[in-house]
Amino acid sequence: MTRDQILLKSVTKYYDPLTRALNNINLNISKGEWSTIIGPSGSGKTTLLNLMSGLDNLTSGTIIVNDTNITGMDQKLLTKFRRENMGLIFQQYHLIPYLNALENVTIAQYFHSKVDEAAAREALERVGLGHRLEHRPSQLSGGEQQRVCIARSLINKPEIIFLDEPTGNLDMKNGEIVLGILKELVSEGHTLVMVTHNIDIAKQSGRIIKLVDGEVSFDSSIEENYDPILKLEMTRASEVINDE
Amino acid sequence: MIAVLMGASMVSGLMTVTNGIEEKLALEFRKFGSNILVIPKSDTIEVGFPGMSFGSITEQRYIDESDLWKIKKIDNWSANVLGFAPLLYQVVQIEQNGISQNVVLTGTYFDREFPNIVFNDKVWRTGIKRIAPYWSLEGNWIEDTDNKSLIAGISVAEKLNLKIDDQITLNYENPDTRETFTDQFKVAGIVSTGGSEDAQLFMTLSTAQKISNRPGKVHSIQVSALCVACPAELMGEEIEMKLPYVRAKTVKNLVNTEMIIMNQLGKMMLLITLVVLGASGMGVMTTTMTTVIERRKEIGLMKSIGAENSKIASIFLAESIVIGVVGGLSGYLLGNVLAQYIGESVFGTQISPVLSILPITVGISIFVTVFASILPVKRATLIEPAIILRGE
Repeated sequence: MTRDQILLKSVTKYYDPLTRALNNINLNISKGEWSTIIGPSGSGKTTLLNLMSGLDNLTSGTIIVNDTNITGMDQKLLTKFRRENMGLIFQQYHLIPYLNALENVTIAQYFHSKVDEAAAREALERVGLGHRLEHRPSQLSGGEQQRVCIARSLINKPEIIFLDEPTGNLDMKNGEIVLGILKELVSEGHTLVMVTHNIDIAKQSGRIIKLVDGEVSFDSSIEENYDPILKLEMTRASEVINDE
Repeated sequence: MIAVLMGASMVSGLMTVTNGIEEKLALEFRKFGSNILVIPKSDTIEVGFPGMSFGSITEQRYIDESDLWKIKKIDNWSANVLGFAPLLYQVVQIEQNGISQNVVLTGTYFDREFPNIVFNDKVWRTGIKRIAPYWSLEGNWIEDTDNKSLIAGISVAEKLNLKIDDQITLNYENPDTRETFTDQFKVAGIVSTGGSEDAQLFMTLSTAQKISNRPGKVHSIQVSALCVACPAELMGEEIEMKLPYVRAKTVKNLVNTEMIIMNQLGKMMLLITLVVLGASGMGVMTTTMTTVIERRKEIGLMKSIGAENSKIASIFLAESIVIGVVGGLSGYLLGNVLAQYIGESVFGTQISPVLSILPITVGISIFVTVFASILPVKRATLIEPAIILRGE
């Protein structure tokens, strides 16, 4: 039986008393699973990702990751837990502009334990950037910057990788390169939780969770809903995305 | 960086100026005369009956002229002995223009060479000319080998209507032997000091000793000591160790005035330095705070990929230390240029760089930058990564 690696129980998030981002979310994500969260803008996708990765605090409920309750965890412990268990990939890449590709990767090692430049080179070579080590973000294309971001998230060998629109700013070619890397990560046993607007990419993941107004409106892991509704929801999702 | 550089240069400059000016001021103070008086120890005999005192008799003692060089050879403060002048007094009668007058005749050194003492690669010289630059002299000083000239105080000169190059007759009767001495001397100069010297005559020590038949003897010695933070008492103690039969008294008023002015100067410089450091610290804090705000996205990212607050703080504090070191070093150099400018334009003197101020400047710069960074660093640690990464 596959164990639950991420477990959300009745998770609710208010930014202020009048702004509810998430309402009573219950989810369980298994180890090695590739889950995709879709939904229209403002539906709470990124908020849900931030809560699961411990970047944000929830208002009520419980989040358990790797059998550890991270709800209300001390910030120092949470930071330590995040760097040991999670990798983060952002739509905007968020690379440090004055550091080159290699340094952007090694800085994650520096915060984790000790800098191993050979491992950082290896991570960059794996994402096809062995020849761009000394280049700064401004000298890299969007796809290359995203691959540096992936290398940085992998350098500390996390079990879980959270991805927020990893291909959102990429052209088709670069999007496919990134997608290929993600498939490799899943095959290696990493757990991926990805937010995306791209239904084609979402369809390649093992599980689709759709949020509408902060609530789960569809979860493909629920077997009985899978066949008849998936297609409909996918179509609707595509329509929503195309409308935006 | 500029704020630190300016602060450090002011610290370095003002410290260098203070240091240099204290020495110069001490030298200036020496223009007002000696600050240590050396006299022989005397035995005092109480006179009277049991229960009834008629007073005391003090035996007159002298200091040996052959011991004078030892004053320049004291153990620790030798370099601070700028000069001394021995003094031997006697009352003489002078006649001039039909007027007879009793006056105090003082024998002393004017600018005597000590061939056995070499100081700063020069044979050392001392005398009243060197320790009393405030004397206003009309005419000429007397050579220490001249035994036929004297210098008259202005009061004596006015009373006897003396002029430069006049010849005067000097009579002296030894109170012990009743022997008399009479000779003629030329008035080489007339001195005005505003003090008791105006009512005296001055001639070479050897001549005065010969007149009063006290060869090799002096009554007292005036010593001019250079003192920053004035260790005049210590110097006096060292003189007493070298010449166990004398007492060295510091001239308290002059020393106190000197110390008060030095302290006030030091306080003023400290106040200016603190104000400048405060302004510099505020500048650093504002700049660092701006940097934190500008780099909040970077800070949020670092936190999201696992940087603890201590790491974030250490990054900013390390940057502050580097800025402090570089600012301190460059500030020291700029401060020396500033000190030279202040020295020449305000005090009219050259001020030498003081290497010991370098570590102090760098240390203060590091302290200011680190201290001024505490609040911005605290703010950096409060940044929430989720908010920043959302782009808010």
